[in-house]
Formats: sequence, C-alpha cells, structure tokens
Amino acid sequence: MNKIRFLITLILVVALGAVVGLTASPAKQVLHLYTALDVDQAKVYIEAFEATHPEIDVEWVRLSSGEVLARIRAEAANPQASIWIGGPSTSHIAAAEDGLLEPYCESLAWQYISDEFKDPDCLWIGIYTGFIGFVSNTEFLEGQNVQAPASWQDLLKPEFKGEISMAYPYTSGTAYTVLATIVFLYGGDEDEAFDYAKKLDEQMHHYTKSGTACITEAGLGEVAVGIAFSHDIVKKGIAAGYPVAMTFPEEGTGYEIGGMSLIKDGPKLELARVFYDWMASAEAQTLYKEFYRVPLNPEAELGEGVVSAADVNLIAGFDPVWAGGNKDRLTERWREVTGK
Amino acid sequence: MLKRIKGELRRLINDPVLLVTIILISALLFVFIVFPLFKVLQQSLYSHGEFSPKYFKQFFQKIYLIRPFYNSLTVGALVALIGTTIGFIFAYAITRTDIPFKGLFRVMAIFPIVSPPFLLALAAMLLLGNHGLITEFFNLDWDIYGLPGLVLTETIAYFPIAFMTLEGVLRGIDPAMEEAALDLGASKLRTFLTVTLPLATPGIACALLLVFIRSLEDFGNPIVLQGNYPVLTVQAYLAVTGMYNLPLGATLSIFLLIPCLIAFILQRFWAGRRSYVTVTGRPTGAGLRSTELHIKYPLLGVLILLTSIILLFYGTVLYGSFTKLWGVDNSFTWENYRYVLSTGWDYLKDTLFIASIATPVGGILAMIIAYLVAKKRFIGKGVMDFVSMLNFAVPGTVVGIGYILAFNTPPLQLTGTALIIILVFIFRRMPVGIRDGIAMLQQIDPAIEEASTNLGGGMFRTFGRVVLPLISPAFLSGLVYLFVRCMTAISAVVFVISAGWQLLTVALLYEVDQANLAEAAAYGCVIIAIVLLALGVMELLVNRLLKGRKVGAV
Repeated sequence: MNKIRFLITLILVVALGAVVGLTASPAKQVLHLYTALDVDQAKVYIEAFEATHPEIDVEWVRLSSGEVLARIRAEAANPQASIWIGGPSTSHIAAAEDGLLEPYCESLAWQYISDEFKDPDCLWIGIYTGFIGFVSNTEFLEGQNVQAPASWQDLLKPEFKGEISMAYPYTSGTAYTVLATIVFLYGGDEDEAFDYAKKLDEQMHHYTKSGTACITEAGLGEVAVGIAFSHDIVKKGIAAGYPVAMTFPEEGTGYEIGGMSLIKDGPKLELARVFYDWMASAEAQTLYKEFYRVPLNPEAELGEGVVSAADVNLIAGFDPVWAGGNKDRLTERWREVTGK
Repeated sequence: MLKRIKGELRRLINDPVLLVTIILISALLFVFIVFPLFKVLQQSLYSHGEFSPKYFKQFFQKIYLIRPFYNSLTVGALVALIGTTIGFIFAYAITRTDIPFKGLFRVMAIFPIVSPPFLLALAAMLLLGNHGLITEFFNLDWDIYGLPGLVLTETIAYFPIAFMTLEGVLRGIDPAMEEAALDLGASKLRTFLTVTLPLATPGIACALLLVFIRSLEDFGNPIVLQGNYPVLTVQAYLAVTGMYNLPLGATLSIFLLIPCLIAFILQRFWAGRRSYVTVTGRPTGAGLRSTELHIKYPLLGVLILLTSIILLFYGTVLYGSFTKLWGVDNSFTWENYRYVLSTGWDYLKDTLFIASIATPVGGILAMIIAYLVAKKRFIGKGVMDFVSMLNFAVPGTVVGIGYILAFNTPPLQLTGTALIIILVFIFRRMPVGIRDGIAMLQQIDPAIEEASTNLGGGMFRTFGRVVLPLISPAFLSGLVYLFVRCMTAISAVVFVISAGWQLLTVALLYEVDQANLAEAAAYGCVIIAIVLLALGVMELLVNRLLKGRKVGAV
C-alpha cells in the first residue's frame, strides 16, 4: 500500500526538481529571434552569425509568416522576440501598420538596398527576392504529350483540369503573390482578374496551406502543375531530384520581397540591430547560394542556376507594397468568388 | 431547494479536506481553462474595443464558412461510428475470447495513438494517392483526397482511443454475470446482446464521444488530405495562422465547440440513466470459457486484416524514412536520421523534459477530478465536470491563442517559459484520463469506499489506497495518453513554444508543411521510437508498483 504513496512522492519530487531547474538562467547575451525562413536555411545563417559574433547566443523559433504576425500581435504587451527575419514584405507591412515594429534608419544596410526593396519609414527592409513560376511533372507532360504551361492562359487548358495545386492565397505569402500577380496582369481591372481567378480555381485539384508543398506534389505526380516561387522550385524540385521542369508565364510574373524587421519594445534590441546589420551584409547574403535565393545586397555572390530579374519577364508596374496593403480585401473577394 | 443547499454546505464544512481540494481544483480549472477561453470569446465578439459579432452573422451567409461545418460533422460521425466499432471488436476479442497473439493485437490496436497523425496521411498519399504505389499497381482511378481519405486515416488514428476505453470497461465487467446468463441457458448471442452490451453502454458512449471529438478537432490529417473537402479545424487554423484573423478563428472554433458540447450532454444523459456497478469487491468466479470456432475465426480474421492495414501504413512510413527522395529515388540512406539528430537534438531534449513533468502531474490531477466528479456530492460538481472537459472540445489552436492572450501579462506572465507548455499539455490532455477514470469509477460499488471511510480512512487515504489502485487501468491509460500527446500534439502548443523551449512535433510540422516527406517520416519514426521506449518503461514501473493488489475482477 505504501508503494502508491511512494509513487506519488516520487512524482512530486521530480516535478519540484524540474521547476527549480527551470529557474536557472544562461550567462551569455541572448537574442530572441523569429524566422519564417525554412529551418535548414535559418540554421545556416544563424550559425554563421554566431560564429562571427561569439558573444551573442541566438535563440530562435521557426513559424510561418502568418504565425509570426499572430504571435507578435498577441505578445504586443510583452514582446518575446526582438527581430523577425524572412517572410514576404506584405506580412512585415501588416505588422508595421499595427505599430508593432521598431524603425532602424541608422542601419548600414540602408545605403545599399535600393528604394523599392525597403520601407520609407525604415520599419522593414528587403533581404531577398523571388519570382512566381510554374513547376510541372515531366513524366506527366511526356505521358500526356503536352507542353509545360508557358503562360497564365496555358493553365486553363483542358489537359490541366483537376491537375494543378497551389496554396490558399489567405494562408500563404506565395499564393497571395500569385493572386496579386493576376490582378496586375489585368492592369488592375479586378473584375476581369477575378474572372480569371475563378476559371483557374476550376482547374485546381486542391489547395495547400504552405506555398512550397505543391512543388513536392508535382514532383510526386500527385498533381501535374504547381505554382510557386522560383527559388523554392529550384531547391525543392529540380535540385532535390524530382522529375520536374520550371517555366515562367510569358505575359509576365510577380515577385516577393523577403523582409526583415525589428519588433517594437523587444528584449535586447541592441543585439537585434547587430543581427540586422549582419543579415543585410554581402557576407550573409552570399550564403543564399546554397538555397538559390536572389540576394538584394548588390555585393553578394549569386548561386549557380539562380533565376535573377534579368531571366524572367516581370509584370509592368507590379507593386508588392500595394499588394500588401490590399491583402485582406483581395483574399476576401477570392474566397467569395471561389467559395474556398 | 434552499434547505438542500444548506445541507450540502454543512456537509462540506464538516469535511475540510474535501472543501480545500474542491476550492483548489476549481481555482486551477478557472485560471487555466475558463480564463483563456474567455479571452478568445472576447476576441471573437469585439473588434477594436467595440462589440461587433460580425463573423457570427457571416457564418450562416457564407458558403465557405458553413460548408466546413457540415463536412466536419460528417467526417466526425463516420469516424466515431467506424472507429468505435473497430475498437469494440478489438476490445471484445482481447477480453472475451481465447484468440492467439492477443499481445500482438493489443500493441497494434494502441500503436496509432503513439503516432503523430501526419504520418498516416503521408502514408495514405504515398500508397493511395493519385500517383501512389497501390493506385499505380492496380491501375486504379480514384481520388482519396477529401472524405474517403479523411475517414480512412482518422479511423486508423482514433480507433485506439475507443479500444483503450472499451478494453478498460470490458475488463471491469465481471465475467460472472455473463457466466450466469450462459448457465441459465442463454445463447452466446443473447448473452452478448442482453448482458455484455448493456453493461458496456457507458463505455461505448464514452468511446463514441471521444472519437467524435478527436476527429472533429483533428488537424494533422485534413491539412494533408482534405483536398476540396474543407473541415472546420483547418479553416479555423488557417484563419488564425494564415489570415491573422483571430476573431474569425475564434468564431469558427465556437461552431466547432457546439457539436462537441451536444455530444457531451447526450452522452451524460445516456450513461447516467442506469447503474452499472459490477465491481463489488466480492470474489469473482472462474475465467473465460473457450470460445466457439465460428465466433473466434471471423473475429481473428477481422483483427488480422485491420492489423495488416496498420502495419502497411506504418511500414510505409518507416521505409520512407530511409529513402533518399521518397516516391522518386527510393535508394537506402541514413541521411534523414542524421538530419533529424543534428537539427532536432535541442527539440528532443526540451520535449522529453516537458513531457516528464506534464505526464505525472496531469495524470494524478485527472484522477483526483474524476474521483470528485464520480464519487463526491458538492455544489458546482456539474460545473467542474463540464469545465474539466471543456478543453477537450476546443480546438488546440484556440487553446494556444487563448493561453498567449491570457498569460502574456502580469500577474501570470508565463509566455516564453516551459511552464506554459506544460500547463497546456496538462489542462488540454487531462479529459481523457478524467473520462476513463469516471467510466471506471461508475462501475465501483460505493460500499468499498464506505468501508474504508467507516474504518477511519480520510479522503486522501481512501483515494490513494482504495480508489487509485482500483482504477489503476484508467490511471495508467491517462498517463500513457498524456505522455503520448506530449510527444505528438501540435495544434495548441505551436503557439506557446518559444525560442528557449521547443518541441519535436513542431519540427515535424515544419517538415510536413514544406512537404519534406522523407525527413518528416524520419522525425515521425524517432518520435514513435521514444514513445514506445517510454511506454515500456512506464508500464514496467507501474505494474511493479501495483503488483499483487488486484481486487475483484479489476
């Protein structure tokens, strides 16, 4: 009978010990960071940073950009992190509009990042860019004897009906960039743009949460075509070894700016500024090579096979900042039109 | 009425230990369950400080909001029915027949519960998807995305909950009753229909309820397989994490809560109508009679079939974890495990630490609450029962958001600590232990406790020495469930993890999110291995501690 009491005592002692253990604090300077970059990438950048700044220990959480924003909003009264790297500028703009970001005009980065890739009030700055492209399963193309889609109109062809996937525009920065691209494709005539969006919806097999999932799905042959960012298609599709081909729409395509920002009233903002300056440097952005990202620091080296702005036909007048400001309205209308 | 309340109060004052326990537990339940939900409700009704329930109005007008509601109910009902049936077949075959390989079947029937649900969906995609192995091999033209895929994977994922509940309940039913019926000349079928089944009714109701709710709140399978059949959890999750729209997410989750509450109330009504006391403390008769072959072999056949399906699914995942590029380049590699152990090492340490605290604390708390609810009479008992159950019916995303809304400011500032993760696990995962505990306690004759009380045992003494050993199967399954959920839960904790405290499942979610299939499979296999190891140790430990103290038929 005493064994039960012994068990309970044992459990309580373990629990108490654990609580005591929790209160022990680390000695190093700790920077708290949120990132929307892939884990394997974030790890490379953060470890490189820690190697150049051994006095700083970076503790970080990887979340989708929507989750980062939801957390920063919920934690506004008591921010848990001081810097946010990665994720489309549209999410950073949404945070800026809510007054959640800390300006940093003194950053060294400010002089060499060109104006279209940074916020005039220094609330966020671009650290990379990427273009929307199509990823097609080559086995499907050969089997059906069709060409990879080379235009937005090609996606509406009957052979691709029920064979396309992408993410929900309201959950994925990638997919929202696709929607914004469609709006600019029709010169801002939203009625025509949503007419096209509805037709495209009828071609879809399904939607995913994450912008890059459709690349693997196309690679596996679950769908024939995915719509995603070029650097992700190269990294997760072509370089990974899937039987896929990448094409770009001839009418023109849209792009994202990957953002970075400081979080207002975050802990130890001085450490965050050190990271900010480093992340914008050529040294840091040369590390993109391995992941096929397009750096925005003009001094950074380009990776092999990286698709740069010169290689694709960008839509005239595409404005990611306008897109960021109209996100709620456009995604709401998209949901009305598609019922998804 | 007034007189009755007065009497109750007087009784409570005469029993200060009970009174203090009740007050303490009520305070915990209020702070860690009601308060965060209140914060979420507040979010759903107010925008910019003004009362505006606009999403409640929209819910019935917008097809994309109401459709997932019907879809969720459809999936939930199908999964509950099929899952409970399968769970019952397993439990019946294992407790009431002399089929061979019971140990193996039992392990297989519990196995899916130790698995992060994403894995089943991934295996389903790789086996049965548009380009899947089975689809290609038999040249089939089907589409598992949507209802079929969801029902398939969720049934496999959640029938173990029905099995675990029903196994405990069937073991708790004294075989002497069935023996008596048989001796009086009833056929096996008649005995089953008029003795076993009615006695198991509260357990079946519990199982249906638990599976229904787990299916409704499932997120891992739909996010991979829902296709064009959106369900409410995913929509609520997407609203919060994708659209940053807390009020909409909160509103959707309230509509998720309603069917769960109805199910809960129905179950109470159904199970509460009769007394099911079968554990009397009196010595029980002989063991099982040997089973006729025409009952045994069909049961065995069904068990083998279901076990093979489970093995096939998890075998696919295990195989996938050793492939270079799952589905395309299936050559053997250790690379995925090397990746998991290097990238996931810190996650692993944190996860184990958190689980080792949350499991015992939550397990004991659950049994105390079950005991209070099932065996004690006090004012507000119904409320305590209801509140302790509430978090089970609320989608994890909302619990998670509720916690960061509620505990980000003094006096209870917990964000960024391990404690907030531990609390989420305890208060979110306790209900299974509580349900099981109550189901078992309802079968224990109050005379046993009365005997202890009459001999001078206080409440804690009676609880620790008489009740806890009697309900040890429920206690153990509560512990097991808590630990397993610590290792595999995702939707609530994703919001309360912090830079300092990480979890393995978050790493897995990320790999699934990015569709890194082989890496996800490797993470899944590592999680499963840890859970199996810990379960073995835990079962050994508890068995040793409880050895030789079996009472009656328990």
